[in-house]
Amino acid sequence: MDFAQILEEYGQNYATAIMQTLSMTALCFCLAMVISILITVMRVSPIKPLRLVGDLYVQIFRNIPGVALLVLVAYALPNIQIVLPWKTCVEVTVVLLASAFGSENFMTGINAIGVGQIEAARSIGLTFTQTMRKIVIPQALRSAVLPMTNLLIATMLTTALGSQVPLNPQELTGLVSYITTRSTGAGIVPFIISAVCYAGMSVLLGVLGNRIDKKVRVLR
Amino acid sequence: MADQTPVIELRHVDKHYGDLHVLQDINLTVHKGEVLVLIGPSGSGKSTLCRTINRLETIDSGEILIEGEPLPQEGKALAQMRAEIGMVFQSFNLFAHKTILQNVTLGPIEVLGIPKAEAASRAMELLRRVGVDAQAAKVPAQLSGGQQQRVAIARSLAMQPKAMLFDEPTSALDPEMINEVLEVMVELAREGMTMVVVTHEMNFARRVSNRVVFMADGQIVEENTPDEFFDHPKTARARDFLDSIKGH
Repeated sequence: MDFAQILEEYGQNYATAIMQTLSMTALCFCLAMVISILITVMRVSPIKPLRLVGDLYVQIFRNIPGVALLVLVAYALPNIQIVLPWKTCVEVTVVLLASAFGSENFMTGINAIGVGQIEAARSIGLTFTQTMRKIVIPQALRSAVLPMTNLLIATMLTTALGSQVPLNPQELTGLVSYITTRSTGAGIVPFIISAVCYAGMSVLLGVLGNRIDKKVRVLR
Repeated sequence: MADQTPVIELRHVDKHYGDLHVLQDINLTVHKGEVLVLIGPSGSGKSTLCRTINRLETIDSGEILIEGEPLPQEGKALAQMRAEIGMVFQSFNLFAHKTILQNVTLGPIEVLGIPKAEAASRAMELLRRVGVDAQAAKVPAQLSGGQQQRVAIARSLAMQPKAMLFDEPTSALDPEMINEVLEVMVELAREGMTMVVVTHEMNFARRVSNRVVFMADGQIVEENTPDEFFDHPKTARARDFLDSIKGH
């Protein structure tokens, strides 16, 4: 089968798979951002137990392979009576991974701010919370645009974990196995189409990220 | 001129950094309207002392009083007290993501709860006073060091502080910019601001201060009026220090 035949037969499936990949990416990335901000605030808070929990979270989820984590969430959690829908399993896995890396991106941004501005904020009477909200987080967000663009792309690629569980509809990688089991003559072609879709979307996100970065970058 | 109301009092203040006894039994009172200059060789503890006054550095023992009230330990009360003591840093520390105007209005809006419009007009007034009102819409990185430091002074003044601390405010500046910052400080001193200034600018110390405190190795070695201190230093440490900087 050549490209034209595959696209004709499975074009609609590809369109649906792209939407599935994108919607999972959007949801996971948004949740990961919220959680990584919370984790990062814990990691810089004046309360030591909070800092420890935050650091531990990052060390655990940054250092577990995605597939292993998915197996844990999808096939081990049912042993303790936690049974999540397949799609949720994938999303939980991706969010845990992405938020750990996201927090590291924010930490880098915070370290770039330097202790001076934080001391200045405290010296005009801002509380810890105000200093975080007004000085630290806005700058960490702005200087994290480029690394977060990379994380967004990585998040999208990680949703390919969805191919390891029965999803309906499938995302881009799962669709490849769906097609190759159905049309045995398809060969490598379905995979190439998915790869081109991933690459195309990554390039678009990359360009978008660069534009945003240029707009919000903090002059130093 | 200085009257006798104490604004800042340090009593038997001690602090260690590990094995280093960086502040040793420091006793010091700064009166209302007084300009006190802290000088001494690097590592003498003068910056640390300055920073303990608004608790950017904690102390091991002793007490620090602001207008007779002990310095709060942490939390809201400490933030409140810090708002009443201005601080100007060696490296300016302006908020890099905010405009010059926003740098000055942030404290009044967030801490004092002043309405935005009023905070902005008062901030512009202060920026005019320190001569950088034309730069109000720029961000800090677009200003020279001298301009940034004057903005930092305006940012502190916007909180209407009871006293101001200057931690080597001109040490990071190019020589041609030092005077523009010192002039602002001289003006403040004339208007009766209570000031603690850590500096290497001996002319400023001599011309503007009411009292010079000389520190070495974590101790106050000598304190006197500027004329007495510079013309007739009593201790060998002070004489050595003054000799060592005479070449400049």
